[in-house]
Amino acid sequence: MVYLPLQIIVTIFVVLVVFRLTKKYKDNILKTSELVGWLMIWTVVLVVFWLPQTTSYLATLLGIGRGVDLAVYSAVLMIFYLIFRLYLKLDKQQKEITKIVRHLALSETNEDKEQKSN
Amino acid sequence: MNNVFIIIPCYNEAEHLAKVIESVKPYGRVVVVDDGSTDNSFQIAVSSGTLVLKHLVNRGMGAALETGDRLARSQGAEIVVHFDADGQHVAEEIPLLIQPIVNNEADAVLGSRFLKPTSAIPFFKKHFILKPAVFFQNSMLGVKLTDAHNGFRALSCHALEKIRITQDGMAHATEIIEQIKTNNLTYQEVPVTVIYHEFGQGFLSGLKILKDLIFGKINK
Repeated sequence: MVYLPLQIIVTIFVVLVVFRLTKKYKDNILKTSELVGWLMIWTVVLVVFWLPQTTSYLATLLGIGRGVDLAVYSAVLMIFYLIFRLYLKLDKQQKEITKIVRHLALSETNEDKEQKSN
Repeated sequence: MNNVFIIIPCYNEAEHLAKVIESVKPYGRVVVVDDGSTDNSFQIAVSSGTLVLKHLVNRGMGAALETGDRLARSQGAEIVVHFDADGQHVAEEIPLLIQPIVNNEADAVLGSRFLKPTSAIPFFKKHFILKPAVFFQNSMLGVKLTDAHNGFRALSCHALEKIRITQDGMAHATEIIEQIKTNNLTYQEVPVTVIYHEFGQGFLSGLKILKDLIFGKINK
């Protein structure tokens, strides 16, 4: 079997990512469910690059012409989903910032400060 | 005399703020919420002798109004008036705005520039931004209003207890109407004057409001 340079590069990249993920898991930054989810995604990436014929099999099952099309469609869908999740998280954080800012604003008004100084 | 709180959210309004504060002072307790201004709005508000709340960073008009509302709630306000800091609204119209609440005829009173023939609304803004916004608001929320996103409104203490603004940006105006409807609060519209300056909300802000409303629903 002839190895393509891209397969080697992707594998090295995936190994590095998995290494980082396990480190984050050990440091309690990632939850078990998150670790499992990410490992599954990267395993799929490895399978797609090393056994491209599997995507063709899945593609015909789903009614898509070529395996590579399926890979691209899935990647785009996943990216959109991740952006959506990221957006919701960002929105939540914005709301939390507002809560803090409001709490600080209400905890000391200019009149409170004047009273203290008198 | 009712315990009226006039909430003025303010972001970089140094030019108009002093005049606006002086004009509303006779009508109630003035609360300026400085929303992280980078000009000297905060100093102007403090030196005018009103109660000033300061947001350390800019959070948006909806967030500033909710901060003011919270203070009003904690200090036993009977009526709260929302008033813009940019000199768009006319202080002399505050008694007319709060009258239905004083008479126990409504929990919320919304200012409408379309009921006032003297309001000179720019043509484009009237027909391409405001009218579609009014149509969208009325059909989405099931209300019958003649104006949308007019920041001049009054709330009774009952309405104030029920309404919580969670939209930090300009979508708060639609959110308030939605909460008036869902909480079965009674409402009225009162003709008010809006003085136009060169700024205001354009078409793109309208799209942002729409986006905020949609994501606000998803991300509760």
